[in-house]
Amino acid sequence: MKLASFILDLDWQDAVTKIKRFISSYVEQSGAKGVLVGLSGGIDSCTVAALSALAIGGEKVLGLMLPEKETHNAKDIKHAKLVAEKFSLKTKMIDITSTLRTFYMSIPDFDPASKLCMGNLKARTRMIYLYYYANKFNLIVCGSSDKSETMMGYFTKWGDVAADISPIMDLYKTQVRKLALHIGIPKTVIAKPSSPALWPGQLAEKELGIKYELLDLILYGLEHFMNVEDIARQLGIEEKTVEGIKRKWLSAEHKRRMLLTMKLEYRTIGTDLRLSRNP
Amino acid sequence: MKKEIRMALAQIDSKLGDKTGNIKKIEKNVLKAKKKGAELVIFPELTLTGYVVRDQIYELAETIPGPATRTIETIARKSNMHIIFGMPEIDEKTQATLHNAAVLVGPKGLIGKYRKMYLPTHSVFEEKRYFRPGYQTAVFDTELGKIGLIICYDIFFPEVTRLTRLNGAQLIVCISASPAVRRTFFEILTLARAVENTTFLAYVNLVGIEDGLQFWGGSRLVGPNGKVLVQAKYYEEDFVMCDINYEDIKPVETFVPALKDLRPELFDKLKSSAEQL
Repeated sequence: MKLASFILDLDWQDAVTKIKRFISSYVEQSGAKGVLVGLSGGIDSCTVAALSALAIGGEKVLGLMLPEKETHNAKDIKHAKLVAEKFSLKTKMIDITSTLRTFYMSIPDFDPASKLCMGNLKARTRMIYLYYYANKFNLIVCGSSDKSETMMGYFTKWGDVAADISPIMDLYKTQVRKLALHIGIPKTVIAKPSSPALWPGQLAEKELGIKYELLDLILYGLEHFMNVEDIARQLGIEEKTVEGIKRKWLSAEHKRRMLLTMKLEYRTIGTDLRLSRNP
Repeated sequence: MKKEIRMALAQIDSKLGDKTGNIKKIEKNVLKAKKKGAELVIFPELTLTGYVVRDQIYELAETIPGPATRTIETIARKSNMHIIFGMPEIDEKTQATLHNAAVLVGPKGLIGKYRKMYLPTHSVFEEKRYFRPGYQTAVFDTELGKIGLIICYDIFFPEVTRLTRLNGAQLIVCISASPAVRRTFFEILTLARAVENTTFLAYVNLVGIEDGLQFWGGSRLVGPNGKVLVQAKYYEEDFVMCDINYEDIKPVETFVPALKDLRPELFDKLKSSAEQL
């Protein structure tokens, strides 16, 4: 297999059709009234919101915008509104600063120096809002996680990844960019650097330590059972870089496959009690 | 035996676990086909239950004959139609082992069944976890001609279709539950199996989304010359009519004599090579 950017090309219209069908079919089968997307203004959430609107109509899609003081970014809010307007979806903006402050003050051992604890708290607080509104309006939470960050474990367990369906989770970030372009997401949204917005100045590629263009090819190689040496040789990079990515991918399985218990009885949840996930 | 038959390919979206609802859907399509002059209606693999039922398969499986086949028999009798559909079967003798089965029912009752020989257990498939494979090909001498049954992944193994054809099938029916990423394979293999066996091949695939798997439909009838005689829509429920004239087989076999030129001694070599793999 030759690792080059073209290998990530898909028939984008076909992908859009499949994703639209996936969303509409799930909403219909579940009996929900529509879809709720946490709309940050980033490429992933804008793309998922747009796909949802294309699938079931913008009037059935609620984009929930949850800014807070620390990571407030006027450009992101502008982008979210731009996409909402273009795809005719409804939005609601709630400033979650005071909720976060309440958490910070009420947790006895709260440590403001721990970016990780604080950032995850933020992601999980957003999740609480999403599910509150999903319950209130009988909506399906449509997640925005892509394959690159999910494989890397670059997300908050029970936080940003929490969703009922995740329509773009089988697409790498660079693929999401192409699909976004195909459906008409503004270029300014596609081009800006990705950020989980857990703390000020946080940038995905900086934290991951690698550009998505390269990361996606490494992950694609690993997905296709290529060995570390081949991937490194083909991409002209050091083996330790590929090994590092592989280690992160493998060690994050606990975040992707939840509900782990040990086998004590006849059929066990998460292992051999296997049911269809269809609503 | 008729030389010409009219049939319908009913590409439906089965509701998971809803046998009653799915039988109603079968009945509706049978009556529709009847009105259009068909004598045979073909439905996809595991029509009765849907495909991704996972552990529910144990409670959904039925014996053949059993309650579901008896209901379908009544539909066939009342409408004077032949019906082919898929269902999970629990073996009458063991009352414990399951099979992925295709069933052929006619106006006079149950004609026969086929148990899927090749059970995919890789990628998204987990059939061997639930089913025991079949060991026999199935060809039935009916009023509508000699009809052979195969199921989905069987088509990847040319020997199944070959044996079915050598046992006399002139129409080979492949019922299927194939997800979207596999479309190209089936579009190629349906043509290949028809041509290399000079036979009609009817392929009927599921549609709908089950547990994230999107079934692509695209049901088709392929002639013995490899021509796609009718093709249903991709991904959506569809219902297409088609005619078969068995006399079309002979001139193709004359033109590309794939059966005449068979070399039986190669099968022995194939067997010994496969055993050493």
